[in-house]
This record gives sequence, structure tokens and C-alpha cells, in this order.
Amino acid sequence: MTLPAPRRVGLLARWETTPFHLICAGTVAAFLVAFLIVPVATVVFVAFWDGQSLTLVHFADFFRTSLMIEATWNSIYVALMAVIVATIIAVPLAYFTVRFRFKGAALIQTLGVIPLVMPPFVGAVAMQLVYGRNGSVNLLLMDWFGFRLPFMEGLNGVIFVQGLHYFPFILLNLSASLANIDSAMEESAQNLGASGWTLFSKIVFPLAMPGYIAGAALVFAKVFDDLATPLLLNVNNMLAPQAYLRITSVGLADPMGYVISTILVVLSVVAVWLSLLSLKNRDFATTQRGGGGLSKRELRTWEKFGAYAFIAVALILALSPHFGILMLSLATVWSFSVIPDAFTFAHYITVFRDAGGMMANTVLYCGVAALIDVVLGTMIAYLVLRTKLPFRQLIDQIAMAAVAVPGLVLGIGILRVYFDVKLPFSGESLATFWVMLAIAYAVRRLPYALRSCTAALQQLHRSLEEAAECLGGDKSVVMRKIVVPLMAGGILAGFVTSFATAAVELASTLLLVTRDASAPLSYGIYVYMQSAAGRGPGAALGVIAVVVVAIATWAAYRVAENDRARRAREGVAA
Amino acid sequence: MSAPGVEIDRVSFGYGSTKILDDVSLRVEKGEFFAFLGPSGSGKTTLLRLVAGFGVPNAGAVRVNGRDVTDVPPWKRNVGMVFQSYALWPHMTVAKNVAFGLERRDVPKAEIGKRVAAALDLVGLGAYGERRPAQLSGGQQQRVAVARTLVIEPDVLLLDEPLSNLDAKLRVEMRQEIRELQRKLGLTTIYVTHDQEEANAIADRIAVLDGGRIQQLGAPMDLYDRPANRFVAAFLGTANLIEGDLAADGNFRADRFALSGLTVPKPGKACVSFRPHDVTLSAEGRNLAGTIQHREFLGGNIRYVVTVGPHRVTVDTVHRRDSQVYDVGASVGLSIDASQASVLY
Amino acid sequence: MLKLASISLAALIAVTGVAAAQALEDRVTIVTSFSRDVTTPFVDAFQKKYPGTKVEIQNRSTTAGVAFIRETRSNPPDMMWASAPDAFEVLKKGNLLQKYEPKSEGVAPKVGSSPTHDPQGFYFGFAASGYGIMYNTRYLRANNIPAPKEWDDLKKPIYFGHVGISAPSRSGTTHLTVETILQGEGWDKGWASMLEIGGNFASVSDRSFGVPDAVNSGQYGVGIVIDFFGLSAKASGFPVEFVYPTVTTIVPANIGIVAGAKNQRAAQAFVDFLLSEDGQAVLLDPKIQRLPVRPASYAKAPAGYPNPFTDPNLGRRVVFDGDLSEGRYELVNSLYDRIVTFRLKELTEAWKSIHAADAAVAKSNSAEGKRLLAEARKLASAVPITEKEASDPAIAGAFQEKRPDRPVAARQAEFEERWDAFARQNYAQAKTLADNAARAR
Repeated sequence: MTLPAPRRVGLLARWETTPFHLICAGTVAAFLVAFLIVPVATVVFVAFWDGQSLTLVHFADFFRTSLMIEATWNSIYVALMAVIVATIIAVPLAYFTVRFRFKGAALIQTLGVIPLVMPPFVGAVAMQLVYGRNGSVNLLLMDWFGFRLPFMEGLNGVIFVQGLHYFPFILLNLSASLANIDSAMEESAQNLGASGWTLFSKIVFPLAMPGYIAGAALVFAKVFDDLATPLLLNVNNMLAPQAYLRITSVGLADPMGYVISTILVVLSVVAVWLSLLSLKNRDFATTQRGGGGLSKRELRTWEKFGAYAFIAVALILALSPHFGILMLSLATVWSFSVIPDAFTFAHYITVFRDAGGMMANTVLYCGVAALIDVVLGTMIAYLVLRTKLPFRQLIDQIAMAAVAVPGLVLGIGILRVYFDVKLPFSGESLATFWVMLAIAYAVRRLPYALRSCTAALQQLHRSLEEAAECLGGDKSVVMRKIVVPLMAGGILAGFVTSFATAAVELASTLLLVTRDASAPLSYGIYVYMQSAAGRGPGAALGVIAVVVVAIATWAAYRVAENDRARRAREGVAA
Repeated sequence: MSAPGVEIDRVSFGYGSTKILDDVSLRVEKGEFFAFLGPSGSGKTTLLRLVAGFGVPNAGAVRVNGRDVTDVPPWKRNVGMVFQSYALWPHMTVAKNVAFGLERRDVPKAEIGKRVAAALDLVGLGAYGERRPAQLSGGQQQRVAVARTLVIEPDVLLLDEPLSNLDAKLRVEMRQEIRELQRKLGLTTIYVTHDQEEANAIADRIAVLDGGRIQQLGAPMDLYDRPANRFVAAFLGTANLIEGDLAADGNFRADRFALSGLTVPKPGKACVSFRPHDVTLSAEGRNLAGTIQHREFLGGNIRYVVTVGPHRVTVDTVHRRDSQVYDVGASVGLSIDASQASVLY
Repeated sequence: MLKLASISLAALIAVTGVAAAQALEDRVTIVTSFSRDVTTPFVDAFQKKYPGTKVEIQNRSTTAGVAFIRETRSNPPDMMWASAPDAFEVLKKGNLLQKYEPKSEGVAPKVGSSPTHDPQGFYFGFAASGYGIMYNTRYLRANNIPAPKEWDDLKKPIYFGHVGISAPSRSGTTHLTVETILQGEGWDKGWASMLEIGGNFASVSDRSFGVPDAVNSGQYGVGIVIDFFGLSAKASGFPVEFVYPTVTTIVPANIGIVAGAKNQRAAQAFVDFLLSEDGQAVLLDPKIQRLPVRPASYAKAPAGYPNPFTDPNLGRRVVFDGDLSEGRYELVNSLYDRIVTFRLKELTEAWKSIHAADAAVAKSNSAEGKRLLAEARKLASAVPITEKEASDPAIAGAFQEKRPDRPVAARQAEFEERWDAFARQNYAQAKTLADNAARAR
């Protein structure tokens, strides 16, 4: 008897890949090469160049310089501590929203994003006004008790501000993750005697790990790479400010700045990679019944009191810079006093002329950027988790590396590569065309959307897709009709973070905007903050930016909520 | 007499105006294997969840071993529940899953190890402790879920359609295993199912639920033999239900249908119920004439649907090599064993 | 369409040779680091004078502005308009500016001790600014601190933790102040002064605006800033004052035409306008408050407005050696960052101990204490390289763009590591010595 000849298995089959996947991979790769790798490489090249030939001597210098070693440890320490601070704030807030049926949930979901919407210049100024050495809080403490608290001094100041600024990354991703847990998972634990903290720490939180890790990795990478906060607190001995100071000194071609940038990129990618490693070989697909979420219950009176107290403290802390800029935008003179001397609307009138167009531009650019991000993020997550395509991890890592690329480097790179590319008809340069600004925003925020999408897909049981495939849906249909709708929570979280943070991006904006008419709000804020005659108008634009993003976020949640409600209704009807 | 294992005392439950459970009372004796049987939406799972503590009744009380647990949260009840989806935690190994309840009860570490091993041995998975749930088959996951619940030695074992995700053959094996385990451990057990065969096979007593109310409560055979109403008659096995008038002499009459020799609880309008195998077919009709409408060969039986006037009567005949087989369209006579029939109102 | 029409019209005029020079292009783009407060009055006044030309302002930080001009050579903006002279030097060296000879009758050839315009004609001073001390009066009153007048005042222990500055590597004007002090007092003495003042710093800001921001809001009380920050803040109602110390320098803020500018004539007209009587008058606007470069324009200034052309003290004391400054520009910045900016914590701790020891030794009058204290002071005000080394191309060149024709003794990173080690060791030792001095009997 002869056996049938072994079937030849094609490459695509071996990679569990279809032409649709290849198109996705091609799109993602083309985008990353064109708008991340090539522009950044043209700039960072200096780090590997000694004038005549390629060299690694500058990297050796980095490790021989004690200031750099110190800066590296400081950066790692600050990033880790900021993750802890952010966790302490975000985890209870996330838990409240998914666990309890109470009005505070909507409050958390909306206000929770607001801290991200803080233009770096304005944010630290406002934080100084509130928590600085002679900010409102310390002036009051001094008056009442005769002492100050060093909220804003040194590394601890950076940790304090960053933790407050970036906790929404954890809040958003963890909430999405928690909402995906099957209620039976929790009930079975209660049934076996677990409640309260045990239930949370042993069952609920570990099941939401993908979301938490996604958020925590983002906080880490973001804090690690953030330069605005340390710069504004005058903390220099960290990596990101060191890179920035060296890259942006006029006329200096100091290779060390680019060496630090490269090292930042590498360390960020390693951090994210380590975080993913911790999730490896574990099954988090808990949605055996297609979701449902934890059972919600009403809060008892004293619990309500406790929850609201925590929310109040957390939000007061997180929103104090916003309160600060609101006061600043309404202040005549605010100097060495708890509140301003007097209030006025004059600053709003000053900026009113420009604000309308800038608002529209911000919504347009950031909307486009966030859209690009979630589309690419979903594609990459899908390629990584659902195919065996070679180099799929590399795509993920390159996309993540964008988190550490300084906006200035990307901006210069884009100008260098695309300035001489002219658009048809108008003859405008591609580099200064507004779409390029949206793309620059998208590149730098892709990591946020990517982590959210990956976490969402990790929790999605593969059988849900297979069911659809059996029923005749090809990969693209399954993606559109099954995967994307079920990932909606995570995708939305990614969209919102991308949108909100793009709205206040400054470095690349300053390079790529060429006309007032095409300028977004962040540009206006910068322009108006540069006045020694008072920062009122800048603060007024900052308030407007916060309001615009808050409305956009709220609208996004409404759309998602309506969609979910609609689907739930149809589900019941069917 | 000792307190019942579980007592449900006039419990009502619902959200707003929708009533899911309406004044339900029952007692499950200690060591008894009890089943809640009903179609989906009957309230059986909700009732089970109230026993576990997931939800508080709007009215009434739940008692376990005589202790009122109505307001006791699930984690303080010591009531073990096996979930339909098993709800094994994917981030823990099998052994960790099983050990979870013991850890909550502050059992010493060494003893936990022993008891987890014993529980896994009990369900035949002694070697699987270090696996993760995703690496197990459906049947194995089910056993882990059972072991995880049994290991805490609960006062009551609750099983929510535990076999619905398994294939037919495994289902039969597993239900026997569960029953044997229960008997060995003497556990008070409540089992929720929509499958009457499963309930009949496994339970000492059954509560049939529909529309949030208990329709009938009793031993499987009693329910089968003496259904209290049309719903129970039809839901437990197959029943022929025919509406008509019952006279005091035991003669029942409907449109072109008649049956005599019935016991008469109360003359007047009534419904007579009889099982398919209590009807005998013959080539010549003596009291009732019908026409074969449909025939199914089921192996040991042949099932006919026979039209008698406007009525459709299901008839099962035992099949043997030499027994008579009627073709569709053939005229037949039916004789019904009145002593096996029930009169319902 | 309109644009096309006007361009062809301009071409037509050019071809027919009719008064081609008078027709300005319909727009001119200017990259600037100045805020709206400064640019808007000029733009409005210019557009009023030339209604056919629209001025497009592109606000960028100086760094981003320089990078932008460098990357957009094929189609650059028309002008660069900013304070920092070093940015213009960078553009000039990169052949990114073009020559022009502005109409500047009535403009003084020199302000302070430097020429108003670039001698080669690549960029032009349109306003003068000097460095000085800005302080918050509420803050000083609350902390019982006297108002400072001279750089030396800022060395006093009473100012400990109350003074701020922006890093010279981040602010061209701070660099000029540092260089002015170095040239005015000499290399070693100058650094010693700066380190002693540095011992009182609350922070070293990375943005020029960080300092007036902090003084305005009262985060610290005293800031070393360029005059118009202080003057315009005061004019806007903040409780601040500004003084010029004796050793200061007056330098021009500049504008230049970018090489390859499309709108040549409009750009030239803008330069001429800035230097004209009308343009100079705009500088007196309370939100701008810069010093005109036309001496005649001061006639309209309010009383007490600083006037470098009549005030003998203002910026005349120091003769500023531009070549000396240029040769060690990057080195001085890097050196300052190494020994002050990045080691501020160590530096302030050392000086805190020295101040404490000062008080203790004054009481104990211990000879050993005095000796230790003198040693501590010496260590805490030492600079790692000599003036001669600082101007040595083999060393200074390591901090500039690499050129094959300019061999260097070591790489920038190697020098920086040495200086960093020097500073850390000295400050730690100074602190120990001072602490011992305080205990000495």
C-alpha cells in the first residue's frame, strides 16, 4: 500500500497568512519605513559618524561618561517610580468604573483623560503655580503651618508630576481590559470564598494583566522618554533632557545627543519587550461568552463615601494643573500669591481671533493622526498575534520605538526627506502640507494605539473569529465585522490617547507648521506663552485645547456607547 | 428531624417589573441530589445563583443547613458552584486553581498540597496539576472545575448545566461520575439542567420550573408517571395531550376520540395525557381508528405519528425482527392503556 | 489666481523697465522667535505702509527656526528675526543668509561696545538689549531680602536659593552675559564670580523664558535676564523691577534676509522699515520695551527709559572682544553646563556649607577654620581649564563641527567627563572642608 504523497505546504500557509495579511503588512511596513525609519535615520546618522567613517566610539564615550551613567539610572528610577504612582492612582479608579454602578464612573472616564491633555509648557507652569516652591499650596502651608513641602524638587518632583500626568494610560487600558473579563471568572472565586482585596489581587487584576501591562509599559516608556517635565522642573541629569539639550543647542553638531536618542529608543523597546515577555505563554482570552464584564453592583453608603473621597483626591491632584491654567488664563497678575490679584476675560479676547481656526485644525490633524494610529495599531496587533509572518515582532518593535523618537528629530528628518517633494497642482512642499503634520503626530503616537489594540486582541478568544470564518467570512470580512467591533474598547482607548496627546505635541509642530492659517492649538499656545508680559493668552488657549479634547473624548465615548447599546439591543432582538 | 440542606422559602426575585422568580419554595434534604429542570428562561439558573449568593431575593429567605444566608455574601456561604463555562482562571495552573478555595480558608500549606492532590486524583487528573487550563480538553476542564469546588468541602454543591459543553458520550460518562462522587461524599447537591433525561438519570428529586414558578416537585418517576399539569407532562418525556370532557363514569370524549376506564378526580372539562408506549397499534381498529402520518425508526423503537380525527397521537412500538411495521398512509386501530393515563386540568 | 496675476504683472513691469524696484512682492515670510506681542505691532505698521504686501509670521523657537531654514534651502522663508546673535552667526557660516545694505540713516553704528549691524552685512541690529537683574518685589519683601544692584550682590549668603538663570547653552543672551563677565573680570576671576553666584541658584532653566516666568510668579525672587523681559513684565503690571549692573553689555537683536529668498524686495523693505523712524518708534510699545538703535527715537520714550546712547554706565565698561568670544563659544557653554548646570546640587551644597562656615568662623575666629575655609572657597570657585587652553583650537575645536583640517586633542565627550569629575570632586571636597572649618576651634 502506498501512502499519498505529502502535500506541499505553501509559504503563506506555513505563516498562517493570507494575501489580506500581506497587504496589511505591506501597508504597515511602508508607513514605518517612509515616515519613521528613513527620516530618523537621516538625522541619527551623526551618532555613528566620526567625520570620515562609521564608528561606535561615541557609544563607548556614553558608557565612559559618569554623568550619562547617572542619567541612565535616574531615568530608569524615575520611570519605575512614576509607574508605581500612576498605578496607585489608576487601578482603583479603573476598578470603580467597571465594578460599581454609580455616577462617578462617567466622571472618571471623562476626567481621566484630561491629565494627558496638558501642553507641556503650560502644564509645568501651572504645576509650579500650584505646587511649586512658592505655589498656592506651599504659600498656604507656609501661612498656616510655617513649612513647605518639596513637591516639585528634583527627581521626586518629576515622579510626582509624571505620575499625575500619565496615569490615564493605565486607567484607559486597564478599564478596557477589566470590562472584557467574563463575570463567571469572578463569581467562581467569590463562590470559593474570595472577596474584596483577595478577589481583586488574585483573580480580577491578574486577568486584566494585558491591559495593565500595556498601560504600565506606556507610562514607563513615556516617562523614560519625556523631556518636557524634567526640563521645566530644571532636572537635567536624566537621559531625555540630556539628549534634548544637546540636540537643540544652536549650531552644535554634538553626536552625543544622537547617541542618547539611540539609547533611549533601544531602552524603551527593551522595556516594552520585557513587559510583553511577562505575558508570554499565558492565555488571557477570558471571553468565553463573548465578554459581559464584571458584575456591577450598587455601592453601599460608606463605600460610596470612600470611593468618592478617593476619586476626589485623585482628580483634584490630577486636575490641579488644569485648575492652575484656568486661573492663569483669567488672571491679571498672579505673583507670589495664593490666587491671582484680579480676574479678567481679556486674554480670551486676545486669542479669540486665532482660536477658531486653530481648534478646527487641531481636531482635523489629531483626528486624522489618531485614525491612522488605530488602523495601523489594529493591523500590527493582528499580524503579531494571529499570524506567523516572519519579522512580525520586528514591525511591532519598530512601531514601539517611535515612542522614544524626539519630536524634533522626527521633524528635522521629515523636512530633510520630504521638503523637496512637491505636491501636484498647488506646488506646496509635501513636508509642510498639513497631512504631513498629522502623519508626524501619528508616528509618535502609534505606540499608544498599538499597545491598546494588542491588549484588546489578546483578550479576544480566537474561536470567535474561527466561528465567523466557518460561516464564510474571509479574513478581511472577519477583521471588519468581528475583530474590530469586539476590540472596540481597546481601539477607542488607543484613539483617545493618540488624539489627546497629539493635540499638545509641540516639537514637530514648531518645525512643520508654516502658516498661521494651518496652525493647530499647540502652536498658538507656544506663541502666546513666549511673552514675558504675561502668560494669560497662552493659558487661555491651553484651556481651549483642554476643552476641545475633552469634548472630542466625550463624543468618542458617546459614539462607542451608542454603538454598544445598539448592538446590545439588536442582540436581544435576535 | 435535622434542618434541610437547602431551604428556599417563598423567594421572589426580579428587576423592576420583570419577575424572574415568583414565590418559590422548596427543601433539599441533606445528602440529596436535587435537580432544577426547566426550559431556558424558566428561572432555574437564577434560583441556583440565589443559593450561591449571586443576587439577593426581593422577598423570602434562603437557608443552608438551617442557617439563614439570604444576606450572606457568596464568599461566606461555603456553597460550592460549578459554572457552565467552568470559569477556570487562565492565568493559574490547574493545581493553583484547585488550591484557591483552600488558601482562602487559611488551610496550612502542606495540607493544601495534599488535599489538592487528593481532589485531582478523585477526578482522575492527578498528573495534570502543573498544566494550564487552556492545555486541557473540555472534559478535563470540567473535572478541574468539579475538583476545585469539591476540595473546599462545601455544605452544598451547585452545578449549573455542567455538562452542556461536552459531547453526548462524555456527557453520559460524566453524569455517572458526578453522581458516584456525590454519593461517595454524601453531598447535598443541586443540579441545573434543561435536559430531562439528564435530570431523570441523576437526581433523587426534581423541581420542574417554568415562568419563574415551580410546576411540580418530586422523584423523577413520580413526575413522569403522574405529571401535575400539561407543562410537566410534555416537558418530561413525550406526552399525548388531548382536550375533552370527562364523565363521572370514567369515560373521556373528545372530537372523534374516546377513552374509557379512567380514574375520575373531577368530572367536566379535562385533558387526558398518555405516553407513546402506552398505545398499541393493530391493523384493525376496535375502539379508535387512525391513519399513519409519519414513521421514524429509532433502533429499539419505531415511533409513529398517527392522526385520529383532528388529533395527532405519538405512538412508540417496540421493534423486533418479526414485528409488524406500518407504512405511512396505512389505516390502523389504536388501543390506549387507560390505567397508565393521567387526567389533567 | 490673484497671486499669479500679480507675479505676471511684476514680470511685465520688470520687462518694460518701469520702476521695477518700487513694486514689492505680495507677501513676505518671516521666521521668528519673538512673541506675538512683539511681532504684531511691527507687522501691522508695515502692512499699513505697504498695503499690497502681506507679512506671514512663522513662530518657531530659535533652534527650530535655524533647523527649518537649513532644511528648506530649496524654497526657504524670506527672513529670520530673533534676538540671539549666535543663531545669526550659525546661519551666516552656513551660507544661509544674504547680504544687504539697509537704509539706515540716523541709526547709530554702535550700541554699547558692539557694532549695530554685522560688519559683513549679513544681518542687522534693529533693537538693543542689555542683561541685568530682575526681581520680584513682593517676594523680596516677604523674605526680607534687599534689592540687588550688582552681580556681586548675588554672591551674598542672603540670596541663597533665591536666584535663577537660564543656561548659556540654551540662551544666546545668557551666553553673552557670561562672556561679558569673563571678559570684564578675567577668566579665573570671572568663573570664580559665576560659581559663587551659582552657589545661590535655585535653578538653572533650560529656556530663556523660564527665568522671567519664575520671577513673575514668585517661584524665586531674583533672575538674571535680558532687559526687555524685566521691563515688559513690569509694564504689564507684575510686581517686578529691573536693574542694569555696572558690568553689562548691550547687544543688538537682529534680522537677516535668508539666502535664496523669493520675496527679495519685500524683505529688504521690511529691514528698512524696522530701522526707520516709524519702525523704531514701535519698540517703545509697553509690551515690547526694547532699546531703539536710532538715538533720536528716545525723544518719545517715557521718563526713565534706559538709553545706552546717553547713559555712560550702560554697557560701556566692557569692551567686548567678538573674536575671543566666537573662538570659545561652544566650549564656554559646555563648560558652564558641566560645572554649574548639571552639578547644581553639588555646587549649592558646597556653598551652603561655606556660608555656614563663614558665620561660624567669624564667631570662633579660629585660624585653622579660616585656612580650611579659604581652601574650600578656592575649590568651590575653581575652573578646570585655563583661558589659554579655552582658546586653543585643538581643545575648543572639539566642541565645534568636525572638520578634517582641524585636528583635536580629544573628543568633546572626553573633555566633558574630565570637567564633570573635576567639579564633582572639588565641590564634595569643598563641602567637607567648609564643614570642618565650621567645627574648627
